[in-house]
Amino acid sequence: MIRKLALVFAVVPALALSAACGGQSGDDDGKVTVVWWHGQADAEGDILKGLADEYNKSHPGIEVKPEVGTTNVDDMLQKVQAALAGGDPPDIAYMYGSWSATLAETPRVADLSSLVKDPSFGWDDFWPAEREAATVDGKVIGVPSVVDNLGLIYNKKLFDAAGVAYPTKDWTWDDFRSAAKRLTDASKGVFGTSYVATGDEDTVWRFWPMLWQQGGSILSPDGKNAAFATPQAVQSLELWRAMAVDDKSVYLDQNGEKFLPLFYSGKVGMEIAGPWAMRDLADHKVDYGVVPLPGYGGNHQTISGPDNWVVFDNGSKRAQAAKDFLAWLTKPEQDARWSLGSGNLPIRQATSKLPAYKEFAKQYLGADAFLANQDNAVQARPSITSYPDISAKIGDAIDRVLLGQATAQEALTGAAAEADKILAKG
Amino acid sequence: MRADTAAGALPLSGRRRKAGPRVRLMPQLTGWGFVGPATLVIVGLSIFPAVWALILSLRDDNLLAPGTFVGLQNYRDLLDDPDLMAATGHTLLYSVLFVPGSLLIGLPIALALNRPLRFRAFYRTCLFVPYVVSAAATGILANFVLDPQFGIVNDLLAGLGVARQGFLQDPSQALLTLVVVSLWGSVGLPIVVYLAALQDIPRELIEAARVDGAGPLRVFRAVTLPQLRPATVFLVIWQTIDALQLFDLVYTTTKGQPLDSTTVIVFYLYQQAFKLFHAGYGAAVAYALFVVTLLVSGLALWYARRGEAAA
Repeated sequence: MIRKLALVFAVVPALALSAACGGQSGDDDGKVTVVWWHGQADAEGDILKGLADEYNKSHPGIEVKPEVGTTNVDDMLQKVQAALAGGDPPDIAYMYGSWSATLAETPRVADLSSLVKDPSFGWDDFWPAEREAATVDGKVIGVPSVVDNLGLIYNKKLFDAAGVAYPTKDWTWDDFRSAAKRLTDASKGVFGTSYVATGDEDTVWRFWPMLWQQGGSILSPDGKNAAFATPQAVQSLELWRAMAVDDKSVYLDQNGEKFLPLFYSGKVGMEIAGPWAMRDLADHKVDYGVVPLPGYGGNHQTISGPDNWVVFDNGSKRAQAAKDFLAWLTKPEQDARWSLGSGNLPIRQATSKLPAYKEFAKQYLGADAFLANQDNAVQARPSITSYPDISAKIGDAIDRVLLGQATAQEALTGAAAEADKILAKG
Repeated sequence: MRADTAAGALPLSGRRRKAGPRVRLMPQLTGWGFVGPATLVIVGLSIFPAVWALILSLRDDNLLAPGTFVGLQNYRDLLDDPDLMAATGHTLLYSVLFVPGSLLIGLPIALALNRPLRFRAFYRTCLFVPYVVSAAATGILANFVLDPQFGIVNDLLAGLGVARQGFLQDPSQALLTLVVVSLWGSVGLPIVVYLAALQDIPRELIEAARVDGAGPLRVFRAVTLPQLRPATVFLVIWQTIDALQLFDLVYTTTKGQPLDSTTVIVFYLYQQAFKLFHAGYGAAVAYALFVVTLLVSGLALWYARRGEAAA
């Protein structure tokens, strides 16, 4: 008998353990649970937790559970892949816009079309770049969580020291090059500007505005061929090659984590970066200015990289609760607390009319310029599942040129040939 | 499991047939009951994922959308992938430099530390600390120290009149720099293993050799080295597996850059599976690497056994 008991004691905990790993149930004690992987740590996470608490108080039937998911959103998709394989994804997750095409093919991702079409949601109040990044073939895969764009941030102190006039909104790329050259001072370890040479999308998206400003596009209108290797694009890449290799005015950041800290510490004069830098700029008390990107022929288009809250369908009850929560979260009042509180641009235009925005613009020097620059984000990257593969080829091409190992012409035409092959495979 | 239990019980139950097998079955089951939880954990944490990855490697799948079964297509694609070939080349070059390098550096240091030295424990600790530090920390540290523009190593070189180097940011130096950083980070292991082996060598052997008139070099070649053979075999296999599976250091330093010059096999499969949405293909690469690792280890073991028999 004792032995039998021993057997039971040995086996039962194991079974209990495996059952416990089986997962969270949807509605305990009648409440509908919404698990929310927001990917935000520290102060940002606290803001979201506060919003969830407030929502839970006013909605007794629902419990939104904010969880970090992963502290680095780069890994969020990987985490959700694992959760999906285990059959237990979160109800809402923070996702990069570049993942949208793949997410659109995921059956568990809920289509939010009906949610955003409801007049009370105010979909038209969101910028076109955001709506486009959230929509794939008519399916709305998420609602915007953060919006940004690329502008030119410059360090006034370094410009004054070098006796160079501040950038203006009418700057050409040639103006940009000559200023970078004059700001560069090898003896002090100061660079005119920098480029993220990681070879991934962070390298590639900085290049697209130059293509678009000259009337080019990434793919042919039917989407079957690469169209980015235009003579104008070759010239733009050649400009960067000349700056990096001949002028030596470009700090090439090979892991994408150093270029902003170097700017904060006065080692780089100008950065092509987004509003996400504003908080650190304020913390480091940098005296800086923001203008739109330099342009070609008066065209100063930029690129926007909006991120989304994506809903995974864990049964209609939970999916509906998740949608209701997102409708509430993206209202201007809540957006002011989340976006402005975390140092980001408002995700919708109505938020910028609130008094909270005025406070925000006072606190962050570049806010108004970045907000205005959002209107320059008129084109988006193609929403196709093979975009990451194509982007990897272009990233390699740009890196080779910046390191002086290939000419702009051969690198871009080579990348276009690779892209055609990828597109043909489908 | 069932069959094993029954077979194990047979010889005993044969002796006292009357009691029947049930009596003996109970202790067996109790045994399994105790082993069971651990077995479940091992099966759940390693065998189940391994089988799952094998199935995944036969599919065109990104773990998000429903994939399709493609048979051996992923494995056929392996053979025609220039990027994978390049990554394999990087891994091989790294292994060829790292494995002998760590032994050739580790052995002399172990020999030195095996002598009566002042502060010996202190030196031992110093040399072993980098091994205990995580590869992530080592990588971040290397990034700082070796930064071409702002790193301390280039400042030192400039002080010595040597030109500034690109290190991890120069496509022709990055992989070599990674070898040096890994050697710094992992030479502690060969040192400790060799030290233990050195202390296991019977003093009589060395004394006998000396009495026979052997000088220090001869003693080292004829006594010490052969006695260290098992340790060397272990280290070669261990370090080779480590080298073939290099990932974390690359991830925290170069992310495979510049110009993919440090994209080793495991980093390449990580990119394929998690950055480019080809999880099925990534799993196929992982399985191919597993088979190669198994073959290499097997070969090394076989070679070592053969050598022992011959000696």
